[in-house]
Amino acid sequence: MEHRFIHSGETYKVTIEPKENSHEVTIDDKQPLQVEVVSAFTNSLSLLINGKIKTVYLAEDKQKKYLSIDGNYFELELEKGRTAKRGRVGLKEGNVVCSPMPGSVVKIFVSEGNEVKEGQVLTIVEAMKMENELKSPIKGKVKKVNFSEGEQVDALQPIVELEAL
Amino acid sequence: MGEGTKMIKKVLIANRGEIAVRVIRTCKELDIKTVAVYSTIDKESLHTQIADESVCIGNPPAVESYLNMDLLIETAKKTGVDAIHPGYGFLAENSQFAKKCESAGIIFVGPNSKALALVGDKVECRKTMQKHNIPLIPGMQSIGGNIKEFKEMAKKVGYPVLIKAALGGGGKGMRIVKNEKELERAVAAGRREAKSAFGNESVYLEKYIEKPRHIEFQVLADNFGNVIHIFERECSIQRRYQKIIEETPSTALNDKLRKKMGETAKKIIKTTGYTNAGTVEFLLDKNKNFYFLEVNARIQVEHPITELVTGVDLVKQQFLIASGEKLTLKQEDIFQRGHSIEARIYAEDTESDFLPCPGKIHLLKEPQGPGIRVDSGIYSGWEVPTHYDPILSKLIVWGENREVAIKRIEQALKNYIILGIKTPIPFLIDIVRHPQFVKGETYTNFISQNMEDWKPNRELLDTALIAGAIHLQTRLPSVGQGMPQRVISQEVAKSSSPWLELGDWSNT
Repeated sequence: MEHRFIHSGETYKVTIEPKENSHEVTIDDKQPLQVEVVSAFTNSLSLLINGKIKTVYLAEDKQKKYLSIDGNYFELELEKGRTAKRGRVGLKEGNVVCSPMPGSVVKIFVSEGNEVKEGQVLTIVEAMKMENELKSPIKGKVKKVNFSEGEQVDALQPIVELEAL
Repeated sequence: MGEGTKMIKKVLIANRGEIAVRVIRTCKELDIKTVAVYSTIDKESLHTQIADESVCIGNPPAVESYLNMDLLIETAKKTGVDAIHPGYGFLAENSQFAKKCESAGIIFVGPNSKALALVGDKVECRKTMQKHNIPLIPGMQSIGGNIKEFKEMAKKVGYPVLIKAALGGGGKGMRIVKNEKELERAVAAGRREAKSAFGNESVYLEKYIEKPRHIEFQVLADNFGNVIHIFERECSIQRRYQKIIEETPSTALNDKLRKKMGETAKKIIKTTGYTNAGTVEFLLDKNKNFYFLEVNARIQVEHPITELVTGVDLVKQQFLIASGEKLTLKQEDIFQRGHSIEARIYAEDTESDFLPCPGKIHLLKEPQGPGIRVDSGIYSGWEVPTHYDPILSKLIVWGENREVAIKRIEQALKNYIILGIKTPIPFLIDIVRHPQFVKGETYTNFISQNMEDWKPNRELLDTALIAGAIHLQTRLPSVGQGMPQRVISQEVAKSSSPWLELGDWSNT
């Protein structure tokens, strides 16, 4: 998937290819980087980039993302037009439901072909003695279920893939 | 508590932001009830929400609220307070306001109005100091008249010279003049700037001290003539003539010089009849001569570093003195232990010449750990208003020595997360890491000498882009480390209570 950000007037293209346990991320035409998501929350991401850990604090507001990494501050603007047609940023993007942390899949309530409502609970993942209900971000149809109950899941691995209706 | 004195029971804080919050904190420890005042735009500000009572005093422009003397006195009477604490800025050094409080039978937590008037008038104050043989920077004894007068004095003290506003502060109306050719224009420009900033165009001339350090002494004076100093603060790191990093002890002083300057500070306070907490500012030249600059007649922004190395709560002392207590602290009881550094966090854009840039704070995460103190007036979800000084908070650290304190503040700054508005945090980190700063080579021209072409480090831009993209592409629950620590307003509470923050997680 491709994203475009504007920083200090320059546009950057970021391409993400999901791999088995990580993501391959390419910025513009540079060498691809192996990025593993250690943990991911609304306001913080822990990333393992080519073996080095980086904790990123972030917040968003409309078309902007604000980030702080090791005392450095960045403001990234989403390139207009591309994101607008995709609707609410961060929720519907990709139409996939992932676990924010490594854990185990406790329950899966849907199977391929099921129609789901927005907000419907699709799966429960347990991590660190906590259960997390993962809900559908959209009204749609289940395209693919990648895990079965009892299986281990890594952070940000797609568990359920959806198709908008 | 001494015999016959009556401790203040309830106080109105005629200020806002971090200093109002700071004052309220000590009030709670002293069981003093607090009344916060706020302009309409400050309804959701932190100070408004932590006081015992809050009263709206008008529209956002300061003249219609925080500077409205009669309304403040009226509010003080209505809420039944014994005292008004002015904080810093606004009416803190306004002798007319102190006088109005005195006539209304309300204690002004600050110097008496007479001393305040004297130290507030820089030219008058200079005259008094000269009479008492306090070292002064060579220059005019009074406001300069025609340009010939300026030219003669400049020749006498030697170039470069400095043009300063008589009622000035914060560098406004100030001009450095290198030679006679520039003088006439600089005087005119200084006058224009002084007029627009202070409503008075009076300027004077003095010798410009090159490579100076700004060293100030904290003093406490009770109403019985007892005066002590609580050592120095070095505030040489300044931008636009405003301090941004302060430390104590100063690397430039030895015990002998420290004692001499401290005693001079006490003498200055005694000659002016000053009472309560105050600060005597000096310039120290490269040959270790010091010159009196002015008395700051208020609690200073940088007061916490003094508190951390001496253990004295200066705001508490202000209340005790204002209540009519005798100083119980003796000069010989005050020691400096370890080293403290403060960095000021403003809503400003370092890259655009430190222009203030207000906005909404989307995320706040304050650093924690041994020897770290944050004096703050902000919280996650709060919108920084455009009407006031852009100071947000102060990060203050303590370490057993300067080296430790520098490392500690660097780490603490790196863990100070403010998202949504620009702050000088990246710039401050680069200052405290700078070899000249580490060596203690700190002069008031530090920033123009060492940081003039500063640009933020872009090494981590790729990491930011990666994080931005991954964040976009994933649906994430609201959990975890990014949790705001101060949640006050209802609207914000909904999205960030620690329990709600857990989202759909439940314990198993």
